[in-house]
Amino acid sequence: MPVHDLGYRKWVGRRNHRLIRPLFIARSGITLIWRRRMLKLLLMVAWLPIAIPAIGIFCFEQGVTDVTYRRIIIRTLQGPMERPDLATQMLQDPVSIRHEVWSTLILGFFRVPQLYSMVLLIGLIAPLLISYDLRSKAYLQYFSRPLSPNEYIIGKSAVIWFFLGMITTLPGLTLYLLGVLLSPEISVVGMTWDIPLRILVASVALIVPTTALAISYSACTVENRYASFAWFATWIMGSVAYQILTNAPRVGRGRRNRIDMDVDTERWLLVSPHHTLGKVETWIFGLDAGEASVWPAILILLAITIIGTLFVRSRLIARLSV
Amino acid sequence: MLGPNGSGKSTLIKSLLGLVRNHQGAGTVLGLQWPREVREIRDRVGYLPEDDCYIAGLTGIEAVAFMANLSGLPKTEGLRRAHEITDFCDIGEEKYRSVEAYSTGMRQKLKFAQALVHDPPFLILDEPTTGLDPDQRDAMLRRIRTLAREHGKSILLSTHILPDVKAVCDQVVILARGKVRVYDSMENLSKPAEPTLNVMIYGQKKAFLSGLDKAGYTVTAKPDGTLKITGTGVDQVSSVWDIAAATKTSIRRLVPAQNSLEEIFFQAVSASEHS
Repeated sequence: MPVHDLGYRKWVGRRNHRLIRPLFIARSGITLIWRRRMLKLLLMVAWLPIAIPAIGIFCFEQGVTDVTYRRIIIRTLQGPMERPDLATQMLQDPVSIRHEVWSTLILGFFRVPQLYSMVLLIGLIAPLLISYDLRSKAYLQYFSRPLSPNEYIIGKSAVIWFFLGMITTLPGLTLYLLGVLLSPEISVVGMTWDIPLRILVASVALIVPTTALAISYSACTVENRYASFAWFATWIMGSVAYQILTNAPRVGRGRRNRIDMDVDTERWLLVSPHHTLGKVETWIFGLDAGEASVWPAILILLAITIIGTLFVRSRLIARLSV
Repeated sequence: MLGPNGSGKSTLIKSLLGLVRNHQGAGTVLGLQWPREVREIRDRVGYLPEDDCYIAGLTGIEAVAFMANLSGLPKTEGLRRAHEITDFCDIGEEKYRSVEAYSTGMRQKLKFAQALVHDPPFLILDEPTTGLDPDQRDAMLRRIRTLAREHGKSILLSTHILPDVKAVCDQVVILARGKVRVYDSMENLSKPAEPTLNVMIYGQKKAFLSGLDKAGYTVTAKPDGTLKITGTGVDQVSSVWDIAAATKTSIRRLVPAQNSLEEIFFQAVSASEHS
């Protein structure tokens, strides 16, 4: 018997409130996932694209007073950003388009690099959450404690929320802060004060449905690789289907762009999670110029959240039934 | 709680903890209404599941501390308590290894530590000695006895290993085909229906048997040569000694007979099959 073995002793103390116990599930999940070297690397890489819109904001703010920078911005707006309307306004009154340019740059950051990082990150971590617990029958241990299936789901979802927040919300807010710091004067805050709020709302729109979808895949199977496969397939197949359906009218009509071809880019939006999310985020940032209503996309995201959560719940309850 | 495989022991336990859906019935556990207050019940119960279950990726100490936290112990206190309990359960330095690398016996000890970490007044242990070697099994039973007798814990031990029950239990419930067939204290169950003595003799067997017959006792010879003497007043040992003296028979062994748990168990199970 070790010298420090005191035998069994009673424990007297105050217990934490039941409502904060899901936090321990989240903390334990975050700690476990944080040990993966691949994930740390991915998190670091996910922050790198922040430099591009930061440089964009810097150039725009310099362009307000400096003609050289203004030319660069105009070329960028006409070219890669496909916003000739903004380029015209940049020539006339650059300050009036500050909010729109900032929003466009931050939205671009959300839409492209962060969305890809998000898909990759969730594909790596989400299947480990519930499918591992189903395989190792850990749910028996969780539910022998005073936890409800809902608290368990919240705890597990919070793990994904945390990591997604690390690669979307936090860099988004950092980007805004960088933009303010790189601006020649602090008055820009007065014109762009709502952007951090939009970043938060866009993060919620991104994080909540994607988490619900990811954990529902994770709860489908005890083999986490199948869950990963289903997750990646959803995004890739959705985007491929959208591209095929949208670009079908262009086939055999040369290399003209979609605007010239009068291609309806919003008709097949809902087949692709990427484009559905994009529509909602664009609307949140106040940049949605499309003719189609945003509500079908919002309803789809809501449906994914509700159905995904209910599905996970039913899977857990089914496991607990004889 | 004893019962053959499939008798419903584990299902009853899971039902008590709300781990399976209950369609009817009500009751109280530790004064709490079941099934209405099942979460409060879980808060006060330590459960060692029969299934091989673990939270992948955690070390032993993390797994125990995590269960402490889920039961409401604050973070630091949970870790301190986890160390204390893993020492009590003799997990030793293995607590720093990943639970996935644990042997079956180590996992049993870990599950026991997890059940105990929040100091519940009531422990439900479902097959706690499965997969343990004889030394560890003895140690586990010793711990269970210590908790029950020195620390006042109520313990429900579900098993089909009869020697474990004899070693630690005061009360026995025998389940078969989902119903309670026997429920009594070990002491009462051990008592035969009629006073009985097991006697081994040397010498005049015929005369001794005839003396017993005259005294109104029933005698049955067992295959090992022991005589099973039954009848009113047979527990007055002096009467048997008197008959032995009168018939010049030497008594080599004389012990009051007890019902064996095996017999009780088999009777209960076979009765359930016939019913």
